[in-house]
Amino acid sequence: MSEFKVHHLVTELIEHLGSNASPESYVENLQRAGTTTVSSYNHATQNCVRQLAQNSPNRESFIEKYEELKAKNTDCLRPFIQLLSVISEDRKLKEYLEKNAKTASTNLQNSQTSQASVGSISDPLRDSEIVEKVTTEDLPVIRSRLHKEVEIAEEKRSLPLNKVETQEKARHPNYQSPVMPNWNSVRPNMNLDFVTHHSGPVPFAAPLGAIPVCSQESMVIEEILFCLEGAESDYIVPNPLRGLYETRVFSISESIDPSLHEMVKQILPLASHYSMVMRFIQEKSQFECGQVNHALTAAMNTLIKDYMVLVAQLETANRKGNFSIHKLWFFIQPTLHTMEILANIASTISKSGAKGGKVLSLLHERTSNYIGDPAGQELCLYLTQNACVPYMEILEKWVYKGVISDPYEEFLVEDNEVIEKEELPFDYSSDYWEKRYVIRREKIPVFLERVADVILLTGKYLNVIRQCGKNVKSPQAEEIVYTIKERQYVEAIEKAYRFASKTLLELLMQENDLMGRLRSVKHYFLLDQGDFIVQFMDSCEAELSKNIDDIVPTRLESLLELALRTSAANGDPYKDDMRTELLPYDLLFQMFKILSIETHEEKEYRLPSDKLHLLGLESFCFGYEVKWPVSLVLNRRAIACYQMIFRHLFYCKHVERLLCRVWICNKVAKSFALRAAKTYASAFALRQRMLNCVQNLEYYMMVEVIEPNWVTFLASINKVNNVDDVLVCHSDFLDNCLKDCMLTNPSLLRTVNKLMAICVHFCHFIQHMRRYYLDAELTSMLGPTYEGYEGSDAYAEETPPPSPELMGNVAGESDSFEQSISKFNLQFTAVLVGLLDKISELGRENNNEKVLNILYRLDFNTFYTEQLERLCDDRSMVGGGKEETSG
Amino acid sequence: MPCEMITLQLGQCGNQIGFEFWKRLCAEHGISPEGILEEYATEGTDRKDVFFYQADDEHYIPRAVLLDLEPRVIHTIMNSPYAKLYNPENIYLSKHGGGAGNNWASGYSQGERLQEEIFDIIDREADGSDSLEGFVLCHSIAGGTGSGLGSYILETLTDRFPKKLIETYSVFPNQDEISDVVVQPYNSLLTLKRLTQSADCVVVLDNTALNRIATDRLHIQNPSLTQINTLVSTIMSVSTTTLRYPSYMNNDLIGLIAPLIPTPRLHFLMTGYTPLTTDQEAASVRKTTVLDVMRRLLQPKNMMVSTAHDRNAAHCYISILNIIQGEVDPTQVHKSLQRIRERKLAQFIPWGPASIQVALSRKSPYIQSAHRVSGLMLANHTNISSLFDRALQQYDKLRKREAFLDQFRKENMFNDNLDELDHSREVVQELVDEYHAATRPDYLSWGTDQASVDA
Repeated sequence: MSEFKVHHLVTELIEHLGSNASPESYVENLQRAGTTTVSSYNHATQNCVRQLAQNSPNRESFIEKYEELKAKNTDCLRPFIQLLSVISEDRKLKEYLEKNAKTASTNLQNSQTSQASVGSISDPLRDSEIVEKVTTEDLPVIRSRLHKEVEIAEEKRSLPLNKVETQEKARHPNYQSPVMPNWNSVRPNMNLDFVTHHSGPVPFAAPLGAIPVCSQESMVIEEILFCLEGAESDYIVPNPLRGLYETRVFSISESIDPSLHEMVKQILPLASHYSMVMRFIQEKSQFECGQVNHALTAAMNTLIKDYMVLVAQLETANRKGNFSIHKLWFFIQPTLHTMEILANIASTISKSGAKGGKVLSLLHERTSNYIGDPAGQELCLYLTQNACVPYMEILEKWVYKGVISDPYEEFLVEDNEVIEKEELPFDYSSDYWEKRYVIRREKIPVFLERVADVILLTGKYLNVIRQCGKNVKSPQAEEIVYTIKERQYVEAIEKAYRFASKTLLELLMQENDLMGRLRSVKHYFLLDQGDFIVQFMDSCEAELSKNIDDIVPTRLESLLELALRTSAANGDPYKDDMRTELLPYDLLFQMFKILSIETHEEKEYRLPSDKLHLLGLESFCFGYEVKWPVSLVLNRRAIACYQMIFRHLFYCKHVERLLCRVWICNKVAKSFALRAAKTYASAFALRQRMLNCVQNLEYYMMVEVIEPNWVTFLASINKVNNVDDVLVCHSDFLDNCLKDCMLTNPSLLRTVNKLMAICVHFCHFIQHMRRYYLDAELTSMLGPTYEGYEGSDAYAEETPPPSPELMGNVAGESDSFEQSISKFNLQFTAVLVGLLDKISELGRENNNEKVLNILYRLDFNTFYTEQLERLCDDRSMVGGGKEETSG
Repeated sequence: MPCEMITLQLGQCGNQIGFEFWKRLCAEHGISPEGILEEYATEGTDRKDVFFYQADDEHYIPRAVLLDLEPRVIHTIMNSPYAKLYNPENIYLSKHGGGAGNNWASGYSQGERLQEEIFDIIDREADGSDSLEGFVLCHSIAGGTGSGLGSYILETLTDRFPKKLIETYSVFPNQDEISDVVVQPYNSLLTLKRLTQSADCVVVLDNTALNRIATDRLHIQNPSLTQINTLVSTIMSVSTTTLRYPSYMNNDLIGLIAPLIPTPRLHFLMTGYTPLTTDQEAASVRKTTVLDVMRRLLQPKNMMVSTAHDRNAAHCYISILNIIQGEVDPTQVHKSLQRIRERKLAQFIPWGPASIQVALSRKSPYIQSAHRVSGLMLANHTNISSLFDRALQQYDKLRKREAFLDQFRKENMFNDNLDELDHSREVVQELVDEYHAATRPDYLSWGTDQASVDA
């Protein structure tokens, strides 16, 4: 069941219950719980039924209802029974129900039975869990809902059959079966079944009583033989059917001699069976019943032919004389058994309205139930095998060629054809894998249930290969035949699966060099190729420092190309797939949007996106062009993850470079007189702390997070044997990187961003101030010679003069240099200590957090420890104060 | 190509270690002595263009300028198999070929005279690179050419390229043996002033320690110059390995040295390397783990600088960068750092955050090493001041006697007075004081006693 469907059902249920709880949490719970398989319920069911029956005041009616539902093969009977037993065992709940029973006319048991229909409408396995959860609170509401549902269910049941069919057809407009003329009802005599004209008293022919018994016998035999062929006779008359799938009952003329009468009664079930089988054959031969039913009816037809031959032989024997009703009885004994089984199967299938996989499930169950009866089992096996043929053909086409040819929607895999892949190659890939082919759980034959996922994957893989324009053909495409022992066909399926997954994996890994691609992506997005990044930033920094609207994208493209060609990245065969992108939002906004944190702070985060003057540096990221089938792995989501990590690292790198540039500016100070140089000592120290912090953060993210994760990823990718594993490995890799790079923790990310912002402000400030301070020192020291070189100073022009409001933030115009620096110092220390504190708090919750490494790195010589401890003390004092006031 | 480095080799010592350095770089990049890429190295992902450029005919040519005032060493180089490697236009020999006579003043004044020709070469070389990051200077501080000419070139480079980095590999004289250069203390002091004021980063190669390591650690009785220089070339090549084998971080020189040098004057770096082996005893392979390597790097006996132990000052590390090569698991690095932190194996400054930075680097695939992991430490340690202290003492001894000053007085600079010597002493003394101050928590307000400092 799709997520949306679950969501819809839950919402509906909650609405009915009048509760105002949010459906999301329930859906989440359900999905977690929903993974448990149905099979675990199997054993306990019988116990539950017994228990329920014991507790029930009207035992028989309950058992009867149960048997009826069971006969119909209602899909989720078992879990439903479980639910009931849970309800009945919960005394409190029961009492509550009983108390409320006054308002409702139905008692608990009735409500249970009505619930059954509810169960059959929506998926009770999931539904039931909700009911369990909610009942304790809103039982009365459940009651009303149940009533409503019962009404709906009954309405649905009373719908004429063809109306349901048209409904179904409306749902799947793709498959339209040809229309069958309504022969059977117009010309009832074309039916192979008995035709009953009469209604009311049975119109017997003249009584037989006058004829002697011995003469009566041959007449009766003839009569019986007629009956066995579905023809009318004079003294044994079929009664009109009470229901479409009821066993046919005959009226026997009272005038027949009692002894013969009894014999006839004994034999007649055969005719009933015949009638049932014929009705089944006729009905299920219609187009819309699907190929499996067709095949089944064809198989039954063959058997019926044998049966007809038998009847003919009996007739011949009768004509020749020397035949008695006892002989007849003797001859038909084995056939009776066969026909009984056939009729039984026919009625079960008819009653449950099964089609496709479900028919096969029923047949398979039958077959395995006849384990002690060789003849019966052989018969069932024969039927199952024949019924399986079309299904297995579909299966073969799917697992050997990746094609679905399933006009009647019987197959377990459903093809949700999405948009043509040429239209949207990027989106398509991620959707393709998840949504294109899905399993229809309700259509899986039981004997294939174990391998259903394997079947899905096999065809899916083959399809991908076909989409690559390759012709695939499974080399050992052996026929898949149903056998009672599953080993044989399971083996064939698994062989096909191994072939498909191996071929696709080879296609992806070898022919399309997935690992090479990923390595190349890592070079650029994870800054693995350091010289390229240095070169790119060297050439692009000026351009990227501009406002996003002033950036010329084509220039960026050409600079990127230049950087690619001149760095060691030149050896990378995939470098031409690199693109530049300017996103209209910054990383913070992107991350918070993804994390969609629902706090009052959310608005605050949203604000930056409105800020129009986004710098190129904040909005820049690489793009990467991926082609099918690599786009299966490097899908949109993966690329987005890479981009997020990239933007984070890129900005850190930028800040590092800014700080290094400040270092270069400051280096002239070493020739100053000692006194003058010392003025800047605090600025130098602060720069050093910033550099230390940024470099350690970078080192942590690159060397301690990305690289080890990459190594783990490589190790696990070497062990995979299908493409799904590749996908899982890859997304694990990215998730871990995102998490450990602190991108998924909003408060950490925000703090790191603040830290970077302070560093950037500081750099701008120093670059700005340098003109007034350092140059003054220099000119006094070195004399006019230095002036000449100042003109060629490339860096001075590159950095834009900081905007007044930016400077105003931190350093008021009136502040002296030292005061501004000490302000920066305080700010930086506060934010950094805040970050360290948050990290250590994370560490307190979970000692295995990788983020803790930062703590060790940044505070290696316990420089910040004291401040950190002070902060902790403050907080505990404040916390303690709060507790006191609240207590 | 970004981040190019131009190497200047000055004087006898500078050219010798430079020669070994290029030999080593060629081997690591798979470049033959003639400058042709070996066949096995054509697929490399290393960056040769930091130190080499390609001539029209695919020859790899070092961005090196060889300068000397006397022909002996350069002739040796030109007679070696590597003769064709260098650009002949980049080799400059003084015309009169008389050398600097181990006299700083002579070297310096010759530098003034030859400035135009020398800077013609350097400018041409600088113009030939797209985004020059800086210069590497190899010289010794004791002799005449390396110290005198080197000092002049340092000053001029700083003037001409104020935004470029200048990194020097400066060889300090051996204290254990009596030098044949009697004016060595003068030379050292005068050069030290330039190193303090004009160089951005000085990698100190102490001959005392190098000899000690060669005898003690490598068990060579009388280490030859070549053997010592091999040690030096190892340090030089490993310290540039992150530039040549790009990875996540430390891909430019500035990113490498900026975190090491918090305040501009304290830019004298010690080095340490482990495991040390010679070719002869490659057989004795020890187990090398990251922790082993990092711990050994912190031991003074592996330091390429021999420093006197000073009980009065609590010397400490200002910063450490460990360049670890080989198969390294980053988690091991983290564990080792934690261990070092717990056991307090390294003392750090109290006035700022400091830690052992680690740069993981690839090894050259063309050089086989018996060791799984090897490491180079670049450390900014306040104890390096003892080296300068020693230089000061020796200078004072000599100066008190007014010994050997005649040669200096001959040159223009010292014609009238010896103020330059006094001023140099003052600068070096200040440097020593600053290093001492850096061991104390109030370092940031040191030297501004009168001025009020908010903090």
